[in-house]
Amino acid sequence: MLLRLDTKDTRPLHEQVAAAVRRAVAEGECRPGDRLPSARDLAEALDVNVNTVLRGLRDLRDAGVLEFRRGRGVTVAAGADRRSGLLEQARALVAEAARQGYSRAELVELIKGMP
Amino acid sequence: MTGQERTKRGGLRWPTLWVAGTTALTAVLPLTVADRLPDPLATHWRGSTANGSMPLWAACLVPALIWAVLGAAGLLALRRVDGLLRVWNLAGLLAGGVLFLGLQTAAVRANLDRTDWHGAELPVGWFLGTLAAALLTGAAVRLLGGRGLSAAAPPAPAGPVLELAEDERLVWFSRAANRPLQVVAAVSGPAAAVVLLGAATGLFGAGWGWPLFAVLAVVGLSTACCFSVRVRVSEAGLEVALGPFGLPTRRWALSELDSARVERRLPSQVGGWGYRLNGLGTTVMLRSGPCLVVRVSATGHDFAVSVDDAERGAALLNALRARQSA
Repeated sequence: MLLRLDTKDTRPLHEQVAAAVRRAVAEGECRPGDRLPSARDLAEALDVNVNTVLRGLRDLRDAGVLEFRRGRGVTVAAGADRRSGLLEQARALVAEAARQGYSRAELVELIKGMP
Repeated sequence: MTGQERTKRGGLRWPTLWVAGTTALTAVLPLTVADRLPDPLATHWRGSTANGSMPLWAACLVPALIWAVLGAAGLLALRRVDGLLRVWNLAGLLAGGVLFLGLQTAAVRANLDRTDWHGAELPVGWFLGTLAAALLTGAAVRLLGGRGLSAAAPPAPAGPVLELAEDERLVWFSRAANRPLQVVAAVSGPAAAVVLLGAATGLFGAGWGWPLFAVLAVVGLSTACCFSVRVRVSEAGLEVALGPFGLPTRRWALSELDSARVERRLPSQVGGWGYRLNGLGTTVMLRSGPCLVVRVSATGHDFAVSVDDAERGAALLNALRARQSA
């Protein structure tokens, strides 16, 4: 699998790591059930701290993209590819809305008001 | 038939003649002086005292048959190998012919003009001389053949290159595994432990308990190291970790590699599964198919690993190398 990290990104590193993994899942780099490289491997390759990577991975577990299984390491959750793609788009929408001056609550109202 | 195949077939003629000729000579040699030999002949020695014998016909045929079978196996293998492995193979065939013919000569010499095989003393000088001659022949072939080989090593073909954005940090991970090897490792490891316990407690005979443990332990360890592989390409270079524990792990910085490419390789080309050294360089072979191949600058040799998605790994390596040198 190919992971991309944007060096000009100003978000916290753990968010960048999570975004890179989420993008890999969304683009089909790794499919549901696939095992991710170990956190230590990821940390060494991306040149970030192991704890930063672990924090990013835990965020993804909480978002339902990854599963932590004893003895099997970290795997991509079932259905994560679809969900991950949608999440990515939602994230982009929230960012765009914020840029145009809409709050999240306003965005929610906007979506609720849709037919 | 391609030109390469033709030279391979042609290259088989002389080794075949050599094996056939030495086999025939080994078989015929005792017959030429049959009237000066006792029947049965001494064919086995302990120190220089004879302790085993065979009738004349067996003394002719047995060594010749053993050499014929070994030689035929060598010739069959010769059809399938290239490069350094071919040189080793030829060296083995030449040395084998010298060895069998020399030993047969030494045996005939020991029996010559004896009335009974018990009196036949092994001419130790002949015996040692034969061993030395066989070793020297093999070494000479290996040296001469090897020299021509390294001079003719072709330049590595260009591999794919990935397009990189300026501010991106890219890493590539991949792995491959071999199920049957995994099963062998899973079975032989615990089996070795059981045999060790049995041998240590005297439950099994010490005569075969320890050798069996040694065999199982070697098989278990070697398969455990080779049943899976993890490969990582990043700005730090290439890292290939063998086995579930990554032991051993081989690493190269980007500057230590000349180029990366993808090649289809088969286990039959590289001499089987696992960690293989031959004329193609080093290959970590877990399954047939695309392999990531890198040319190492320091040695000029290739290192290959059979791994999924090798194309993009090679492309990323080439792109990162280009970016670093720019």
